[in-house]
Amino acid sequence: MDSIQSKQAASKELNVRPKRSLKHKLIWLGDHFKNEWQLYIMLAPAIIWFLLFLYKPMYGLQIAFKDYSIFLGVKESPWVGWEHFQTLFSNDQFIRAFMNTVKISALNLLFGFPAPIILALLFNEIINATYKKTAQTIVYLPHFISSVIIAGIITTAFAPTAGIVNTMLGWFGLDSIYFLTRPEWFRPIFVGAGIWQEAGFGSIVFLAAIAGVSPSLYESAVVDGASRWQMIWKITLPSILPTIIIMLIIRIGNIMEVSFEMIILLYQPSTYSTADVVNTWVYRQGLQSGQYDIAAAAGLFNAVVAFVLVMLANTLARRYGRTSLW
Amino acid sequence: MSGVKIEKITKSYGTIQVVHGIDLEVAEKEFVVLVGPSGCGKSTTLRMIAGLEEITSGDISIDGRLVNRVAPKDRDVAMVFQNYALYPHLKVFDNIAFGLRIRKESKEHINKTVAEVSEVLGLTPYLDRRPAELSGGQRQRVAMGRAIVRHPKVFLFDEPLSNLDAKLRTQMRAEIKQLHKRLGATSVYVTHDQVEAMTLADRIVVMNDGHIEQIGTPMELFVNPANTFVASFIGSPPMNQMPAQIVGSAAGFQAKVNDNVTFAIPDNARVEEGQQVVVGVRPEHLSLNAGDGASAIPISLNLVEPLGSEALLHTSISEHSLVVKAETHGDISHLNEVTQVYAPKHLVSVFDAESGLALTGQRG
Amino acid sequence: MAMNMNLYSRGDKLFALATSVLIGLFTVATLYPFIYIAAVSFSGGFAAAAGKVVLTPVDATTAAYMYILSDPQFWRSYLNTFIYTIGGTIMSLLIVIPAAYALSRPQLLGRRFWNLFVAFTLWFNAGLIPFFLNMRDLNLLDSYFGIIISFAVNAFNIILLRNFFESLPNSFEEAARMDGANDFQILWKVYIPLSKPAIATITLFCIVARWNGFFWAMVLLKSQEKVPVQVFLRHTIATLSDDQEFTATLSSQPYGPESVTAAIIICTIIPVLIVYPFIQKYFEKGILLGGVKE
Repeated sequence: MDSIQSKQAASKELNVRPKRSLKHKLIWLGDHFKNEWQLYIMLAPAIIWFLLFLYKPMYGLQIAFKDYSIFLGVKESPWVGWEHFQTLFSNDQFIRAFMNTVKISALNLLFGFPAPIILALLFNEIINATYKKTAQTIVYLPHFISSVIIAGIITTAFAPTAGIVNTMLGWFGLDSIYFLTRPEWFRPIFVGAGIWQEAGFGSIVFLAAIAGVSPSLYESAVVDGASRWQMIWKITLPSILPTIIIMLIIRIGNIMEVSFEMIILLYQPSTYSTADVVNTWVYRQGLQSGQYDIAAAAGLFNAVVAFVLVMLANTLARRYGRTSLW
Repeated sequence: MSGVKIEKITKSYGTIQVVHGIDLEVAEKEFVVLVGPSGCGKSTTLRMIAGLEEITSGDISIDGRLVNRVAPKDRDVAMVFQNYALYPHLKVFDNIAFGLRIRKESKEHINKTVAEVSEVLGLTPYLDRRPAELSGGQRQRVAMGRAIVRHPKVFLFDEPLSNLDAKLRTQMRAEIKQLHKRLGATSVYVTHDQVEAMTLADRIVVMNDGHIEQIGTPMELFVNPANTFVASFIGSPPMNQMPAQIVGSAAGFQAKVNDNVTFAIPDNARVEEGQQVVVGVRPEHLSLNAGDGASAIPISLNLVEPLGSEALLHTSISEHSLVVKAETHGDISHLNEVTQVYAPKHLVSVFDAESGLALTGQRG
Repeated sequence: MAMNMNLYSRGDKLFALATSVLIGLFTVATLYPFIYIAAVSFSGGFAAAAGKVVLTPVDATTAAYMYILSDPQFWRSYLNTFIYTIGGTIMSLLIVIPAAYALSRPQLLGRRFWNLFVAFTLWFNAGLIPFFLNMRDLNLLDSYFGIIISFAVNAFNIILLRNFFESLPNSFEEAARMDGANDFQILWKVYIPLSKPAIATITLFCIVARWNGFFWAMVLLKSQEKVPVQVFLRHTIATLSDDQEFTATLSSQPYGPESVTAAIIICTIIPVLIVYPFIQKYFEKGILLGGVKE
């Protein structure tokens, strides 16, 4: 029989881990890289890319605090501290742009957020599988269409004489409206286009959540005599509430992100009062007029607000749900 | 030249030590089984041999060569995983050939070796199938084939039969044993099932809580368990154990459980008068018939479980339970009247109550 | 959730009808703009300008298409879109897949740091101006390579794929390691084949993003022969609506600014419509992989 190892003899060594010397650690490090260098090669291109294209611009962001001159470059341009921000906050146009960002986002939240949910709920009530599948295929499609095309369709459809919308107005004896030049029409059109583009595709997440609800809940409701309408309110919605809340939190976290590409494609100087958002303002000031430093400051402000919101949203989501955007 | 030598191996995760100093030598061609309850460190130890876990301290040598810092693929070991880890997208042939292809063996060599191994394992008709199309036992064999085909110095098995149903397990156990006879390869096998350990091992290493409790052949562990843990772990149903006190008598020392129940204990027991002990006797060693030197134990019968040719009698001695295994001879009715069982003196074990160490049997 | 209609009460049947109708309306509303634009594209210039087109072409003609398809710039920009899409997607996969794999391995030193490094870019973005100035700094303005490389990596895709790799049992890696494979081999021979759905999903995301990419292509590219078709479309629309002279000349043609615009739109949509049915199964799974899990 081999020697017996008794618990008592070994108990002296319990939970005492030998301290590793520096030499030991270096040896370990050497072995690690000898065996695993390939992992680091795999990681390197991505890291280099991030450094070059996303982190290096952050270095350039300092022009928000400088009087930037192309000739002097980022490093040599003189510091001006908070001057640009003071200019921004006293600039009516910028303030208006910021308010527009918030207002449009709020409209998107109010109308754009429930749309996919309602769509998912409606889809769930469709019995005919073929009808459901076909309809789904069709409504997912606009998500894959570029904003240029959508803007092109809108421009054509809402044109003063050539557009179908005005033609239809004519049927009811109404005068035609030059929609895209009128500030009061911009937001409805923009938000409506957004819903048209994203509601279908956005319903996928909610449909998946609804699919996860146990059928036995519905079955017992049937036995209890509930109507489909009641089931939606009493079973479906409460069951997918976690998903809804998470999506809502994510949405709020992204409030500063208004699809400025679409806005650029649809707006005009005459609609700036309602259409101009921070990023479009930055686009005009910076990329078109060359006032890089002020534009960068505006962009920084936007990014910081967005960052705070996203962090808040993340914390809320993590605390509330089991997911995060990590 | 030994197969595997493990010296003072410890493993810690952060500040928590889970393996507290293991010493073990596996001889060439030996089949050693590491057995113990979940969390005892057996899989961790195996993975340290494989090189899948880092060794916190201590040394591992394979075939006389120190392998602490050697990568798994260079240690010349092969492993069979609990969940087989077969590549689902590859056919059986490609699964088995995977390692050979990585090593850039010639096509003829690969074809020949895989064919040989498939033949041995009965997999030849399945070479073109994917793992999803195979049964559990077949998948198990493919996993073994993948290990065998590399002709490693040491085979490592990480609970390979845990995912199989009982009947399949029995069958695969026998196959593994036959395979080992045929291949004669050094093997380290991990399981929580003591039946597997008993049937497969040349030697068993019983582990608990990061320590080795006892190392020995199956029979050594069965007859002379080193402590109460091994005594209750090995053997099914487990050894009956109950607290008792040593009393002296004309016939020698005895273990007294209560005023009615006293066990005669072996003469070479290392006990003293008044010592608190745990007295143990296996269910199969208890007899329904009086015999020479057997202590008469009065019991109250609770339940008779027929198993076929044998039956388990669940009895009690005051608040302690005592399980007795008896032959039925085809009829259990006579068992219902049992009020007394007999414990032959030489088959009784005594353990120190405090340390759990065996006080009977040979000292190591 | 299959419910037997026969068990429906009368109220429920009405409700089911109502929902069917609503879905039907939404579906039609989704389809109509496409039908409308298609109709405009095949209509005579005058009819289109007068707003006479509702559902079907009026004064049907293919003149608008002839005009567009004979413009070499159109074909040029289409080719560019292909270059950007294919080049960009391949570049993306080449960088993203290995990185996601490396990040999914527990033995990677500083893994938490690297993950944070990647995720941070989703939360904070330096903004339009710094990005533009950076591109200028790197001399990547007005170049094919510039467009391809500067949008090659997206943290979201890395995270999605990384999560997928992490969900595969570690024993695959361990078994392959015991078999002697190194990390490259494990990734190429084991993990990539096992990750087809996830990789298909991010490929899809890449392709869609590239095909539809407009803003930065417009800002970064000065040479008109390098622009992708979305920018070409944009310029045409802008020109057609702003340039009165051009419009005046057009209205004497069988095609008009509206039908030409519509024709370009249709030409740009066609590939998407063709490919769309094939990709449907991928993005449904993709949302579940990358999005909010229950």
